[in-house]
Amino acid sequence: MVSPSQKPPVCNNMAAPGRHVGHYIQRNSRFLIHNFEQLWGHRSFGWTPALRQQVAEANEESTGTIVIPRKKTWSKEAVLEALASTVSRDPTAYSYQFQDDPYLSPRTSSEFKLYSLSQESGRSAAKFFVNSNSKFFTKDFAEPHIPCLMPETVSLLLEEQSEEALKERINLRKVTAAVDMYDQLLQAGTAVSMETTHELLDLICLYCDRDPVQEGEPQPEDMEESGEEVKKRKGRFRRASDFLRFTWRENNNAERIFNLLPERDTRCYSALIRGMVKHGAYAKAFSMYTDMLNNRMTADVHIFNALMSAAPDVRDKYNERWDLIAELLNQMSQQKVQPNLLTFNSVLKALRRCGSLAKTQALHTLNEMKAVGIAPSLASFDHILAVFSKAGGFVSSPASSGQGNTDILQEVMSELAGTSFTCQDPNDVLFFSSAMRICLDNKDLELGYKVHSLVEQGENWRLLGDPYQQSIYYGRFFNLLCMMEHIDVVLKWYRRLIPSLYYPNPQGLRDLLQALDTDSRLDLLPTIWKDIRTLGHDNKSDLVEELLTLMARDRHGPEVQEAFAVCALDVKSVFDGDRGRHSLEWSTSALSHITSLLLRANKSQQAWEMLQLFKTKNRVPEEGLLEDFLSMYHSAGSSQRAVELVQLSASFCLSATPRLAKRTLAEFNLTEEQRAVLSELESTEEPSD
Amino acid sequence: MVLGSTPVSGTNVILELTAGTLCCNIGDKCQRGRTLQEEIMYRLLFRTVYTARNSSVSVYESCVLPAKCNKATAPVSRVANGGGIKALSTSSVRFCEKKNDDTPSNQDQKTNADKEADPTETPTLVTQKAEDASNVINMVEQREEEPVLLKTDDGSTTQQQVDVKIEQVVATPQQGKTDAAKSGKESLLDLLGAMKVEVTNKRKLKNLKVKPSYESTPKSKPAAMESTISMFQKATVEASSQSETLDPELVAAASAAASTLPDRSQAESELLRQLRQHEGVTEAQKKGDMNNLGVIIADMKVGKNPNRQNARPANQIRFDEDGRGYTHDRGITAELDSVRRRKNLFSGKRLNVFSPTTDEDGVESAVARPTLWDMDYANQLSLSTNQTPRNGLEEMIQWTKEGKMWQYPINNEAGLEEETSVPFHEHILLGKHLEEGFPRQGPVRHFMELVVAGMSRNPYLTVQQKQDHISWFRDYFHQKEEVLKEADVYLN
Repeated sequence: MVSPSQKPPVCNNMAAPGRHVGHYIQRNSRFLIHNFEQLWGHRSFGWTPALRQQVAEANEESTGTIVIPRKKTWSKEAVLEALASTVSRDPTAYSYQFQDDPYLSPRTSSEFKLYSLSQESGRSAAKFFVNSNSKFFTKDFAEPHIPCLMPETVSLLLEEQSEEALKERINLRKVTAAVDMYDQLLQAGTAVSMETTHELLDLICLYCDRDPVQEGEPQPEDMEESGEEVKKRKGRFRRASDFLRFTWRENNNAERIFNLLPERDTRCYSALIRGMVKHGAYAKAFSMYTDMLNNRMTADVHIFNALMSAAPDVRDKYNERWDLIAELLNQMSQQKVQPNLLTFNSVLKALRRCGSLAKTQALHTLNEMKAVGIAPSLASFDHILAVFSKAGGFVSSPASSGQGNTDILQEVMSELAGTSFTCQDPNDVLFFSSAMRICLDNKDLELGYKVHSLVEQGENWRLLGDPYQQSIYYGRFFNLLCMMEHIDVVLKWYRRLIPSLYYPNPQGLRDLLQALDTDSRLDLLPTIWKDIRTLGHDNKSDLVEELLTLMARDRHGPEVQEAFAVCALDVKSVFDGDRGRHSLEWSTSALSHITSLLLRANKSQQAWEMLQLFKTKNRVPEEGLLEDFLSMYHSAGSSQRAVELVQLSASFCLSATPRLAKRTLAEFNLTEEQRAVLSELESTEEPSD
Repeated sequence: MVLGSTPVSGTNVILELTAGTLCCNIGDKCQRGRTLQEEIMYRLLFRTVYTARNSSVSVYESCVLPAKCNKATAPVSRVANGGGIKALSTSSVRFCEKKNDDTPSNQDQKTNADKEADPTETPTLVTQKAEDASNVINMVEQREEEPVLLKTDDGSTTQQQVDVKIEQVVATPQQGKTDAAKSGKESLLDLLGAMKVEVTNKRKLKNLKVKPSYESTPKSKPAAMESTISMFQKATVEASSQSETLDPELVAAASAAASTLPDRSQAESELLRQLRQHEGVTEAQKKGDMNNLGVIIADMKVGKNPNRQNARPANQIRFDEDGRGYTHDRGITAELDSVRRRKNLFSGKRLNVFSPTTDEDGVESAVARPTLWDMDYANQLSLSTNQTPRNGLEEMIQWTKEGKMWQYPINNEAGLEEETSVPFHEHILLGKHLEEGFPRQGPVRHFMELVVAGMSRNPYLTVQQKQDHISWFRDYFHQKEEVLKEADVYLN
């Protein structure tokens, strides 16, 4: 039963299950299940000593020599990681971060945003409070000591003039205080060590000579200038400090200190150039670089990376841009600076702005990466995709650009399939959504599935980025599914993705409705309507209208009609409900759709009430609708209602009134009185028509 | 796949193509009925395929492989192209139809046969014939067996020969239905691609409201098609005349001989080339291009020619019915593309700027202390990724990383924070601490050895505590030196 190929650790090593689990989960969950089965299989018979021995012997025979395995060091999370890998996602549950409080389960994307942000801000508020009142939080309950639970020092302790005080200010990232201290030290004639000077320059250049917004601190006044930008991007979950853009000022403290330095080394130049590029002083960065070369110094890789990303901004023509980049690369190799991933990523990113040149050069760059032995990250591929889609768009027709796009994406996907990534570049998170955009643009379902299976690989889902990016990605994927896939499969995905991963927008739901329509599964509309209500899209008039139109368009079986009627009443209650400025306006089509749905389900009373609503909302019913009413009353034999209907029609001043009256006179058994009323209506309306 | 075929097949393609489009134009009513039937057949075929398709691996890909070996032979690809026409005429109409399951599948295949055969016939005749022909698939098979048809089909503009052909079909019914159907659809896709059928989006079409689009779409197509057709026809003339010079029996023999060889398609094309060259010598004045063609045929390799029929069309097809047709196309192209582009992404030229790295550089940078820039970069990375835990265990991992949580033991040294750097012998071999300040022998020494032996087995004290313990005794005995001396016990 036990074959020689089966490894003995499975039976006699306690750690084996965990290791196997941890190992396999990285690759494939299916393997995991398989492996578990295997393990259990062994467990059941593998514990008897005799069997164990047999296995050991078999193993010895097969190997001959004893190979001592290398010591495996485990990270402290290894056990937890193995355990966590056994838990798969529950598509029916809300995101884990909201499971503390069921009341706060987000049902819509805005609620999601609100709750997750408030959770985050609550944490930072607590942290701010603890840090700023550290004297009240001195008791250390934890044994052993847990540093991160104790208040951090955020205020300056050292007051005297010394290099120590300067270092403290640098560590606390107090830019202005650090600059002041440095100036005082210089005036006092104290020499500051080179290392501290480097750190100071780094600090000033990184924050562009301004105090950074400390985490949890109230934001300073100068935030206002970026207010508009904040509003523009309010869909995003970014911290405000992220898109604060300060511009590099002429002769700021960094430059001043730099010029005062008795000797400058590469690190100083590096700080300055990186700061200039980061804060938009591109031309200055290049002149600084020239200055450095004139002083016969070699640059480091960071300088080149920064310059490379700035290259498109200092040249106007595409070929000049590329020439500049190529020159920089050559200088790099002349100065024996080894490139890193960021070097190539900034080259590729710059190539996005190099027009038609980019296509060939991007591929060359990719090959260079391979030759140098640097694995491209997702950001590299994202840039390449962008290069190919853009260049195609300019040069040839849209059709062929789409073609090139899928081609290149196809290649990239075959390259990446089955790999799991860690984030190496902030732009990595853009890859998946742009890849899915290409799939969507080209209606390539096959490729879309490939991209999604890559997302599901390992921890790759983390690279979907922030919730905003994530919703874009899933939105595109769902859109593609609705467009191309069979409705059963679409619904399968629908249940898997919504709402645990993705809150669809009205457009997404409309796509779903169209998919239902295409595959004639309109009977599912009432359930979709429930979801629409839950997702908070029941106040989007065009979506509701579309739903009603689809329901009212064709006649269905009695059960379906019954369900539709119930759904229509529910829709009506949404219209009636007062929800402030978000409430819906009755339109003629909505009214008549609901009415006809009710009529088809023989809910004459409710339908009649709907007819009254026309009047109160100043809408005019269509003639066909009234005809339907008449037919129904005819089959029900209620002549009184028929007469009332004609009167109602007259009160709307409908041109069809005489016809209706005539029909009523002809088809119904009427009393004399009713006859009189009707014939009057029939005659009076005629002339005015 | 079409590429692998001889020019002979090319001629047939054209002829059949014209036939198909003519049918499109002339017999409008008849056509509609037919397309309906065809649509049904496609539904059925799709349905059989559909179960496998869910796994996103198109069945076509698997189908392609067996089909490929036959591909290069002229007859098959011709038939396949016949299928292409059919789809061409139907694809625009197909989506209009809803499912009709109960119609037998082979009916529409009959109609397909007509279309290939006779552009000149009236629609009624066509249907008549269709009933005669038992099954187009059979015909496919039969043609493969008997290349005689090479000839007859070329003359298919004349009605007589058409009749002959169909009789043959009836006479020799064969099996192998599925195989032929597959190959037919494959080149359907190729052909469609070559025609640049207009992109149709499902949603747009849907908005047209199904029924009316019936008439509008087919009308718009022929104009575009005819241009391609005329282009093909030019090429056809030479090729067809050339193929007629071959004795059909010879061709049959050649293909039979070729089928015994492993690489059947190539062998056959080579044999045929040989035959044609012989004949070409005698009729050299008429066919000056004969040798050229022979060379071309000999040079052709399956899947090698990237332009025209293979590479471009495959991806350009955007016909749509309920999304399925498109994805099938994708399946084939995916395979073809993967063949093509394996070399592509990482095989081109490189910039040739850098030389491969040595390990030293990496070590050097790792040693350097992280700068503020590095920290900022790490912060950016962590902000850009999604760091929220998905379950309780992941949250515990996060807490462990932050140092908020007790660590799960991963070995038997858990909890040894203070002592991690202390090697075990410091704990066990404590004798060296007795070297100083203690007598070499005597009761004190004996006592201390016992103390040390006891402590060396005590895992609960740190090394520092053990040393302190020993030095406490050292001090103690020094203080009691007087007493010890009185008792005749000496420290040194």
